[in-house]
Amino acid sequence: MTTVELEPQRSRPQLLSRFVVFGLVIALVTTTLAARLAYLQLLPAPSQATTVGDATRIVLQPVPSARGLIYDRDGKPVVTNVPTFVVQIRPSELPFSVRASVVTRLGAILDMSPTTINQLIDRDPGANFDLVPIASDVPEDTARVLSEDPLDFPGVHVGVEAQRDYAYGPLLAQILGYTGAVTSSELKTLADKGYLTDDWIGRAGVEQEYETDLRGTYGTQQVEEDATGLPIQVLAQTQAPVSGDSLQLSIDVTMQQQAQKALDWGLKAAGLKSGVIAVMNPQTGEVLAMVSMPTYDDNLFAKGISRSDFQALATNKYQPLLDHAISEQYAPGSTYKLVTGSGALQDGKIRADQKIQTYPYIDLNGFHFVDWNHRGFGPLDIYGGFGNSSDTYFYQVAAMLGIDRLAYWGRQWGFGGLTGIDLPGEVDGNVPTNQWKIDTLGQPIYPGEVFQAGIGQGYDEVTAIQLLDAYSALANGGKLYQPQVVRQITGPSGQVVRSFAPELTRKLPISQTVLKDMRVAARTGVNIRHTYNLVDEPFVVAAKTGTAEFGIRNAKGEMPFHDWFAGFVPADPWKTSSDPSGFKAVSRTDSNLAVVVFAYDANTVGNAATEIAKYFLQLHYAVKVDLRLPQLLKRGDFYGQD
Amino acid sequence: MGALRLEPARVQAWASRSASAVWSAFDIQLVLYALSLAVIGLLVAYVNSPSGNALAAGTTLTRGLVWLALAIIAFIVAASFDYRWLKSFAWPLYLVNIGLLVLSMAVGTGGGGTSRWVVILGFQFQFSELCKILMIVVMGNWLASRQGRMASLGTIVGAILLVAPPMVLVLLQPDLGTSLVFVAILAGTLFLAGASLRWMGALGAAVLAVLPFVWAYVLRDYQKQRLLSFLDPSADPLGSGYHLLQSQLAVTSGGLFGQGPSATSNQLTATDLPVQSTDFAFAVLAQALGFVGALVVLGLFVALLWRILRVGWRSDDPFGLVFAAGLASMIVFQMLVNIGMIIGLMPITGIPLPFITHGGASIVCIGLGLGILESINLRQAKPKW
Repeated sequence: MTTVELEPQRSRPQLLSRFVVFGLVIALVTTTLAARLAYLQLLPAPSQATTVGDATRIVLQPVPSARGLIYDRDGKPVVTNVPTFVVQIRPSELPFSVRASVVTRLGAILDMSPTTINQLIDRDPGANFDLVPIASDVPEDTARVLSEDPLDFPGVHVGVEAQRDYAYGPLLAQILGYTGAVTSSELKTLADKGYLTDDWIGRAGVEQEYETDLRGTYGTQQVEEDATGLPIQVLAQTQAPVSGDSLQLSIDVTMQQQAQKALDWGLKAAGLKSGVIAVMNPQTGEVLAMVSMPTYDDNLFAKGISRSDFQALATNKYQPLLDHAISEQYAPGSTYKLVTGSGALQDGKIRADQKIQTYPYIDLNGFHFVDWNHRGFGPLDIYGGFGNSSDTYFYQVAAMLGIDRLAYWGRQWGFGGLTGIDLPGEVDGNVPTNQWKIDTLGQPIYPGEVFQAGIGQGYDEVTAIQLLDAYSALANGGKLYQPQVVRQITGPSGQVVRSFAPELTRKLPISQTVLKDMRVAARTGVNIRHTYNLVDEPFVVAAKTGTAEFGIRNAKGEMPFHDWFAGFVPADPWKTSSDPSGFKAVSRTDSNLAVVVFAYDANTVGNAATEIAKYFLQLHYAVKVDLRLPQLLKRGDFYGQD
Repeated sequence: MGALRLEPARVQAWASRSASAVWSAFDIQLVLYALSLAVIGLLVAYVNSPSGNALAAGTTLTRGLVWLALAIIAFIVAASFDYRWLKSFAWPLYLVNIGLLVLSMAVGTGGGGTSRWVVILGFQFQFSELCKILMIVVMGNWLASRQGRMASLGTIVGAILLVAPPMVLVLLQPDLGTSLVFVAILAGTLFLAGASLRWMGALGAAVLAVLPFVWAYVLRDYQKQRLLSFLDPSADPLGSGYHLLQSQLAVTSGGLFGQGPSATSNQLTATDLPVQSTDFAFAVLAQALGFVGALVVLGLFVALLWRILRVGWRSDDPFGLVFAAGLASMIVFQMLVNIGMIIGLMPITGIPLPFITHGGASIVCIGLGLGILESINLRQAKPKW
């Protein structure tokens, strides 16, 4: 083979024809391109508009629905939607050459630093054609200035968005929760449910729990857009949005305010930071008030919380974002003697009038299990044992029951499991059994630990809502209800969509006699002034206090402790001359108010929770006398009372 | 193999001719058309440079000037050398070709997870541009070696086997557009070299038949997206269809005489076309210079193609004919796809428009290719046109 060959192998005519064809291809290509260019560039104005018109298009856009509102049990609005102005920028419409000056002027008007605005614009370089939120909750004057001078602010858009307005702010924050922007990772699953990239979703409280009801159904509309994606006009609404349903809470705002006032006073007077007060109607399981301190203002979230504000809330040692009534568990202390006492009575281990000797302490293999008064109370029946809260009485009763039977009764009363309250983030507490100890710690329960379990110490852990639910069941004759904070869901036009009937968790397998004995025993504690002057109030209240040690012993061998108060008031709260002791009143099962108070790390002279509960009941029943004992709230040398 | 043999007879023939006789054969028109196109490219670069200091370091215009200078050097050097040496080195060049593409894959960078560019001395260089020229050389050598057996199927199959490896490597970068340029070169050279039309038609039909398979298993999602976006721009209004609509709007706003390369039009295009400095340069040109300017560019391309094909026709050496055919095929295909894309006739692919697109590799390689072509033109025994 050689390429030196000079004579063409092909015939020139054949070659020529191929060159001609090739030339024709070039001519065809060029002509086609030129013709299209002429069509685009030369056709007169009307036709050219058609060309531009080709670039406009009709897109289906979602139309957000109005989020449902929230009312208290009396119909007072507690969450509404208010329109607010938002400022957004579409980066592709902001020419680079004028960007610096636009950003500077915008910063001056919005009182933001240009650096911040630039960072927001450049946050997602891929989304050059999406609207980037710059500022929300913009004052109307500012919004007007910006929208009246579109030429001065190219690419800047002013929009109206609905914003949640929490009428009572911190008062109901842990119940209502707040909404927040959906994250890109959530969007993977939420997109199927119609959530948009800039959408909001309930993040806590009933806003989260009832998200589906509150959200409603987004509609769609046909929008004509120009080539850059700017809307020209709305052509038609193809599907109207359906507003979200509204919630009616079981919470009574007035009672909530009284509860918060009482808790706030007690915590401040005792120098405490964290506490809970919760009120339930024992006949229905409805939560009437639930205050967890410290709290936060959910309006911060509605307005788009700043990073520093959120950090401050999230890192606060006392966890204001948590509802301490349902999301934190603590040792119940002596309030748990309800379980030990009622269980032993029902199982026939003791009789109500059976006297059991109490002691300064009980020696168990050299360990001293002391009574809280270090003296003992002599022989006591269940009324005296529960009323004086004698520890040595309940050590012995607990030992009679044994750990597993004690645990059985604990679970019957609703401890160690979720109550099922309609709020997110509930924790289930702990009721120790022999098997539980083996599973978690590798050892069986020791007899001393049975003693402790019988008085609500050691491994026992409960939430305030569990305790409230249990004492409500005590008050109503043994019906353990599922607590609820929402009583009704109503549609946009006010029609009832869903009504919440009392949800019975279980009927306690405890006889009415035993329950009545325990109620009388609880009233006995008040009558014998174990709760100081609570008995002097004009209303009848049966209650059990508790002191729960936690943490690490100090040099004197003392441990810090929380204070508990759990009690209920009969339907007719007032003392009568025919029933001066109130025993008849508490024998009935008609109570419609049970209350639990918890004071974290109390370490006060007296029981801080009792003082808080007392003040709340005084406020609620609007009594003339004020029997608060502030001196009991001094932090000091009180130790081991109960 | 014959391709590796030097050809003393030709060298003598060349050496025996006087210098004036040689330079009288120099195709000055070819150079003029190419330079005119390059100047228009610089004008577009000026429009895309910051107003006021277009000649500052690093602007599109400055970089364009540097690259044009390099392209002219490449042209002069290539025109001075005897192109027949290329035939001797066709196989090593082929290996270099493959090597460069593998290098691009290994160390290359590019937008959106691609590896198209290799940075040399601070300049981004797209090796696939050089590879197109090298591929034309390799094709020229192969088809020249097949003289007498041109009509056989083996010629076509051999050509396909030669083109396939670099084409697949480019496709893997991934760069669908450039890999299609290889197909255009393959088809153009086979056609003008006189390969069997029957076999070419049969193979073309076979390719069409496997296209559904390619769609399903070979094309990347973004490539499918672009093709679909071409078929219906409004389906993806703010994705790839957005560029299409924007470029058409820019072209439309050019009118008959254009808005001129002024600061205002500069600003307008800067917002209209986020990627105007690369493959959408023609849209800027059509906006700045209008229909007249666009037509002038098309005319210059036609004139240039005519001069290229003329060299091929005049060439006694089959290599010369094939080289001219390959170069012309490459330019006409890139012109069709790039301009067609901008005015909405073609799907969006990353193919540069020779001379106009501000790509260093593109203009230097065009300079190199035209230089080789001029070398072919200078070294023919007898002018035939």
